[in-house]
Amino acid sequence: MKRHLIGALAAGLSVALGVSGCGKGSSSDDGGSDGKTIKFVAAIYSDNTKPFWDGLIKDFEAKNSGYKVQLEMVDWTQMDAKVKTYVQTKQVPDVLNYNAFSDFARDGLIYKASEVVSPAVLSDFTPTFTEQAKYNGEQYGLPFISSARLMFYNKALFGKAGIKDAPKTWDEVKADAEKVKRGGAIGYGLPLGPEEAQAEFYSWAMNNGGGWVNPAGKWAINQPANVDTLTFLRNLTKSGLTQPNPETTDRKTVFNQFAQGKIGLAIGGPFTKASFIDPVNKSLEFGVAPLPSKSGTEHNTLGVMDVLAAFKKNDGKNKEAVQKFLDFFYQKDNTAKFLTKEGFLPVTKSAGDVLSSDPYMKQFVDALPTSKFAPTGNPAWTSVAGAVKQSLGTSVAGSEPKKVLDKIQETAEKAG
Amino acid sequence: MTARSAPPAAARRRTVRLRTVLLTATGWLVAVAFLLPYLQMGVTALKPEKELTKSPGTYLPGHWTWSNFTDVWSAAPVWTYLRVSLTVAAAATVVTLACALPAAYYTARNRFRGRNAFLLLVLVTQMFAPTALVIGIYREMVALDLTDTLVALILVNAAFNLPFCVWILHGYFSSIPKELEEAAFLDGAGRVGALTRVTLPISMPGVVTAVVYTFIAAWNEYIVALTVTASPDRKPLTVAIPSFVTDYQAHWQFLFAASLIAIVPVVILFVFIERYLIGGLTAGSVK
Amino acid sequence: MQDVKLRARDAGASAPAPRPSALRRIGLALTPLLWLGPSLVLIAVVVLWPVAEMVRTSLLKISSSGVTLGDRGGGNYTDLFDEDDLVPVVLRTVGWVAGVVITTMVLSLAIGQLLNARFPGRRLVRWAVIVPWAASVLMTSLIWKWMLDNYSGVVNRVLLDLHLIDKPENWLAHPRGAMLWMMWVAVFVSLPFASFVILAGLQTIPEDVYEAARVDGAGPFRTYFGITLPLLRPAILIASIINVINVFNSFPIIWAMTGGGPGHATDTTTTFMYKLAFYDQNVGESAAMAVVNFLMILVMVLLYLRASRWREEVR
Repeated sequence: MKRHLIGALAAGLSVALGVSGCGKGSSSDDGGSDGKTIKFVAAIYSDNTKPFWDGLIKDFEAKNSGYKVQLEMVDWTQMDAKVKTYVQTKQVPDVLNYNAFSDFARDGLIYKASEVVSPAVLSDFTPTFTEQAKYNGEQYGLPFISSARLMFYNKALFGKAGIKDAPKTWDEVKADAEKVKRGGAIGYGLPLGPEEAQAEFYSWAMNNGGGWVNPAGKWAINQPANVDTLTFLRNLTKSGLTQPNPETTDRKTVFNQFAQGKIGLAIGGPFTKASFIDPVNKSLEFGVAPLPSKSGTEHNTLGVMDVLAAFKKNDGKNKEAVQKFLDFFYQKDNTAKFLTKEGFLPVTKSAGDVLSSDPYMKQFVDALPTSKFAPTGNPAWTSVAGAVKQSLGTSVAGSEPKKVLDKIQETAEKAG
Repeated sequence: MTARSAPPAAARRRTVRLRTVLLTATGWLVAVAFLLPYLQMGVTALKPEKELTKSPGTYLPGHWTWSNFTDVWSAAPVWTYLRVSLTVAAAATVVTLACALPAAYYTARNRFRGRNAFLLLVLVTQMFAPTALVIGIYREMVALDLTDTLVALILVNAAFNLPFCVWILHGYFSSIPKELEEAAFLDGAGRVGALTRVTLPISMPGVVTAVVYTFIAAWNEYIVALTVTASPDRKPLTVAIPSFVTDYQAHWQFLFAASLIAIVPVVILFVFIERYLIGGLTAGSVK
Repeated sequence: MQDVKLRARDAGASAPAPRPSALRRIGLALTPLLWLGPSLVLIAVVVLWPVAEMVRTSLLKISSSGVTLGDRGGGNYTDLFDEDDLVPVVLRTVGWVAGVVITTMVLSLAIGQLLNARFPGRRLVRWAVIVPWAASVLMTSLIWKWMLDNYSGVVNRVLLDLHLIDKPENWLAHPRGAMLWMMWVAVFVSLPFASFVILAGLQTIPEDVYEAARVDGAGPFRTYFGITLPLLRPAILIASIINVINVFNSFPIIWAMTGGGPGHATDTTTTFMYKLAFYDQNVGESAAMAVVNFLMILVMVLLYLRASRWREEVR
């Protein structure tokens, strides 16, 4: 074939020019055609992630001789692009640590959960998460970590402003933010930048009866409750109760300011303390409270789940090695170690108790049962999340909330 | 105007002196303007992480954290990244030169069918940048089984910088009188001998310019390396450095420390060859 | 004429032959291939192949996960042309390129002149001007972003201390301001190369040309516009064309500083293309955007060819 001829020419050329030494190293065989070598792409959550996997893999290889795991660490900011190129070029890893799985399931790229983990592991997953990991009624995703969002408030700023408790209703949020602002700080830290606009918005919308889909499971992004929610956030911004320019602010920045004692209220997760507050100010006095709702009657929590997905490769030859590796990871000690190192919440019953001993973590663990999740089982969700990240923030900058949501709804319907 | 009548000597000397003072002042101001961002990079790299995000910002570190520059080596395998960047840039430069030199020389010295077509092709490919072609490049590298190899990076960098090198060398060779070469040729040096013994040495500035241009471009290439490489020991600096700041952490001090570590060697390289560089660019610009 | 000479030279190298044989003629025709071969192979394999691949991808239906589902004809193109953001993005790209290149050229003419003048420390100044070229564009963009940070950036600190502003300004949050700052960064990283090309051009102008002008009584203004600038034309041309290419394709500056946001308010075609693939999960449409991008580049090539009258210049 012509292509191969040119390829050979190109390769020959580079070899002839003396660059052959810089090619693939000794580990050039990453196809895993023997079925015993698998490739695992893991996301970087913090500085601790890589050492954890390195250790776990070493352990695994020692206990399962002949099996090898090739680890590739990918930064979250580069993950989407990487995953897409893997699939497009048919270079998928055997196991992928990601935040979506349903479009892989739809396109027949990944194994069902029951094919790649033992029944014991399968039944160990907390039912809430098993539900989230289903596509068309079948479980494909393997719940990996979870997280919940709650309202963080600065006790010193609240004390100075004469506020006793964390706000329960939206009206209280607004009133408290005004009081905090009078003291010279920022009332509410609103990150609507591209990093996680979808999480911030949903945290508010779900407490106003809104959400991404209607009860029938159809996209309902421009429903009145959502428009109302976005209008509330826009009004907070317009009245100067948030930091300037929420549309370009990321969570990192908000919590950095929060840690410096410059923000009264902001929504954060279990990892917020270790990742953002402690490095800046270990002695910050803050409290954690349920997310406020419009009416103040029921308080939903935003739940977030990342998954592992196992790709079909080489006509299923990789299945055995993948199962061995996954079963190894889902041993109680291994999962618990990962969660405590990274500050995430458990997805299995067995690892659940380990974290409840820490009072800070316990608040999040306790909130999990009332949590609501993004519709990750819908294959169009990634496109929707992408559209939300890009354009939701413009609603507080100038565009009409209704128009912004209409457009995202359009994208959602187009994507399926 | 009295432009034609020469001013008295003293006054003239005074204007010359004033001119020099003004020039010097402007020159130094320009230099400072160009260096300021990098000084800021250095200052930031010397702050402890806690001080980085103080608002309002601080000019100088409250606590000069020189250890950032030593800690960064253990925070990430910076040495490996450096080695990868260096290998890719050097090898790409060699490949580019090996391809560009004969082509540039031949087109400068001979007229033949397809010459214009070739030069047009070079010109058009010069307009293409890898940014616009990433997915195509990735698909190709998969077909060639070259993903996650340095060979892929080397080939891409070599190919996309080839047009500029052909162009600048073509210009340089054209500016060298044919007679010089003819003389050597008649002395029995042979065609290749004349090229290597006479033409190449004279063309050094042109070659240096081509080398520098390719080297820097390969050293700075970001998007192809980002998509093509995977293993940590095959990531160049440009891809590795931004990972110091992610959704979950922000080690700006390490990011900038590593950036400086990457910048300094190249600046030193420039300092040594600046003289040739101007000569080389001259050829490109007279043609 | 050239051919005659060539043949004569070859004749000198080997046995004289009044009329080259057929075999020899073939050999002669193939000689160029020998010299140009490596370049041709490299360009064909690494540049043209991905171009073809891109065009092919733009006609495919590709699912959000990245699986190819079959042909889609022009569907990706109609989708692309239906995007409300397309026209603003294209117009912005044109403005971005024009603004950056014109500013760069004007400034580099001045800086080139300065670097060519004699003054103490000129060498150090030349080295300083080179630094942004040596630093990667990505790193330079990141440090500018850092300096412009609305909370802890040094730009705000300086302006606050000078009492030019009374509260921190969020420079990169407003599309227009962000665009201007990013254009400035693009100019900043483009200046070293452009200035050095101009400097090199200035050094090719012989001193006696100026001498003659002085004798004619031309003032500095007339000398510059009547002599220097016309003689710099080739240098300006080469500096600006390289600049146009780099600026048009520049990804790191916008990606690092605003990510093209808020919304698509600071996107150029390059970042828009990237976002179509990786935010909107639409690789086919992104490839269509890449093809449109190429057409824009081709138009620029044609314009350039006309401007440079390259046939006359390539000698």
